[in-house]
Amino acid sequence: MYGKLGIAAAAAMALAGLFAPHEAAAQANCPVKIGGILPLTGSMGPVAAKISQSAQLAIEHINAGGGVKGCPVQFILRDDQGQSTVGVDAAKYLVEIERVAAFTGTISSGVSGPIISAVTAPSKVVQVSCCTSASAFTLDGRSGGYFFRTLPTAKTQAYALAAESASRGLKRTVVIYLNNDFGADLLKFYKIGFAKLGGQIVAEVPYNDNQPSYRAEVTKALSEKPESLMLIAFPKDGVTIVREWLSLGGTPMIELSNANRVKDFVDGVGAKFLANASGVDGGQVAGPTVDVFNSLFQARYNVDSKGPGVHSQYDALIMMALAMNIAKEPSGTAIRDSMRLTHVAGGAVVGTGPDEYRKALALIKEGKPIKYVGATGPLEFDANGDVTGPIVVWNVKESGLDVGRTYSIDDMSRLFKQIDG
Amino acid sequence: MAVGIVSYFVFFISLVMIFGIVAMGLNLQWGFTGLFNAGIAGFYAVGAYTHAIITTPPLPGFIANQGLPWIVGIVAAMAVTALAAWIIGLATIKLRGDYLAISSFGIATTIQLVTLNWESLTGGSQGMSRIPKPMASMFDTPFSFNLFFMFLLVVIVLAIYWALERIVHSPWGRVLKAIREDEVAAVALGKSAQRFRMQSFIIGSTLMGLAGALYVSYIGFVSPFDFLPIFTFQIWAMVIVGGSGNNKGALLGALVIWAIWAMSGVAVTKIVPASYAAQGAAIQVILIGLMLVLSLLFRPRGLIGEKQVIARTTDD
Repeated sequence: MYGKLGIAAAAAMALAGLFAPHEAAAQANCPVKIGGILPLTGSMGPVAAKISQSAQLAIEHINAGGGVKGCPVQFILRDDQGQSTVGVDAAKYLVEIERVAAFTGTISSGVSGPIISAVTAPSKVVQVSCCTSASAFTLDGRSGGYFFRTLPTAKTQAYALAAESASRGLKRTVVIYLNNDFGADLLKFYKIGFAKLGGQIVAEVPYNDNQPSYRAEVTKALSEKPESLMLIAFPKDGVTIVREWLSLGGTPMIELSNANRVKDFVDGVGAKFLANASGVDGGQVAGPTVDVFNSLFQARYNVDSKGPGVHSQYDALIMMALAMNIAKEPSGTAIRDSMRLTHVAGGAVVGTGPDEYRKALALIKEGKPIKYVGATGPLEFDANGDVTGPIVVWNVKESGLDVGRTYSIDDMSRLFKQIDG
Repeated sequence: MAVGIVSYFVFFISLVMIFGIVAMGLNLQWGFTGLFNAGIAGFYAVGAYTHAIITTPPLPGFIANQGLPWIVGIVAAMAVTALAAWIIGLATIKLRGDYLAISSFGIATTIQLVTLNWESLTGGSQGMSRIPKPMASMFDTPFSFNLFFMFLLVVIVLAIYWALERIVHSPWGRVLKAIREDEVAAVALGKSAQRFRMQSFIIGSTLMGLAGALYVSYIGFVSPFDFLPIFTFQIWAMVIVGGSGNNKGALLGALVIWAIWAMSGVAVTKIVPASYAAQGAAIQVILIGLMLVLSLLFRPRGLIGEKQVIARTTDD
């Protein structure tokens, strides 16, 4: 009996010990803790692994460049395992027990959603996501302004696709789209944009991924006799769909979403069949800040920095840290209100890397405005906490993929105003 | 600092209790009746979405939002889940063991896909947000609301525990055990095995729907992503590790399994250096599996095994 009691007592003490904060609570405000939640295990594990490397790199640069208000930053990264309950629990832990000043995360909308509703908004702690694309999270007011993201949502790409379709004179189009939150989002905004710009969508045909054939979907799409196809897909299934579309007599006037901008897609369909196809993609502003990030990442990890979310994760943390330096006090509300002060029109340009970060801190100390240009280019949060980005139009020549015009960030802002009013 | 720890534990225990309700529902179906229900996530989803649709005020793009009070949502969730369980039960109750498992799993997957595709009803993949929390206006801080909700859950869990204990120790419960142990003998004695199984199935599933409704009214957001098979697995682990065949075991199992999941994450952040966080996450998953295996090696009948009942006693 006493043996069991002893074991129980030891377990309770160990458990209590687990909850001792990393640093003695008595010490003033250092280190400043920043939290992170990513799907390090699970189906998105491989994607998140590189993103977490980018996050660690950002923290290293922040600390090398001066930290936050003179304190070093401590990064506490938790895994959400791709499950909403695990993610919410991790967020609650970071906010309540580790008392992080802000946190970054996560990738899946299904996990970010409950975190925003149950932790971010009620506890008033800033959350910046590199990769959550569900548009509703910033647009319906649920986050109280505490949720930001450093990747353009589907809205940017969709509006650009609509503009491209309209500029090519296409009036009657059918949309074939992947049936998940990404595809549905893209469709929703494409509809709005295309209708506003004078087009008509004659049919919307969803498909589930990883099927061997899409004849049924293509046949349904063709039955409406459209004059063009808008395809929202990932390359593997995209190839299947386009091949079946063309072989069943579909028009070669095709508009494509960004993921299809890969050699596998062009080779799978055949470049000569894609002469009238074009698509859009996020245009990475090629510039010194992007190059600096790429070379620093390569030097640190010995792999290239290509991959989804890598650049936007870096920017998310840097902007968070800059905002924490600008904020007059370490509260979530003050940090939230400082997030947009990281990119002020007319401010001194600061880029990526520890030296630029140090420069930014010096400017902040003197009270001068800064304009952060990061690994994804010039980032500016709009009133909802979203960023827009430049768009590049791509097409296919005999030799392979090629690029056409670019919509700059200003072009996109103007397009948004034209469609949204 | 202390407030933070308390706040986190209030949240943690609230989730444990919600899972505990699901586990007690499964325990009635499996532990007492021998029904291998692998479709837990489906019933949980039906209750969750029913409550969300009934209580969320009308929003653009949603066809069915009602904006009714919380209690109406709870009752509706239980009613709709009971109805779903009855329909599903009619189709599957004659199935045994593996066949019931596969069909219930398939039904749960179908339900999840319906929530994903019927966008005008459920919000589809973007989910439904701003689900009203009960009496939220009476509490000015999230902490005080969470504390209130925890006590509400305690009351609900105790009520369910008491009710379940009453019915499993009643003649009805003894017939269930008889069916589980030797169905031919029970049927030979004139008991309709099918009727009892249906009743157990419906009651258990209704509890799962209730838990789903409680979950969404606590978190305030629901999406199809909350109802993946991993949830079914976790509840099964809770019942098996806690001890199937008794309600205390189901609740204890919920605490232990969820504690393993949450504390392993905390332990990893404390022990593994920050730059190895990604590897640490993999270690966390290994730890979870290890602890599940160890708990079953040391206590194969669960932490609280079922009491053996001798026929002669009438006051088990």
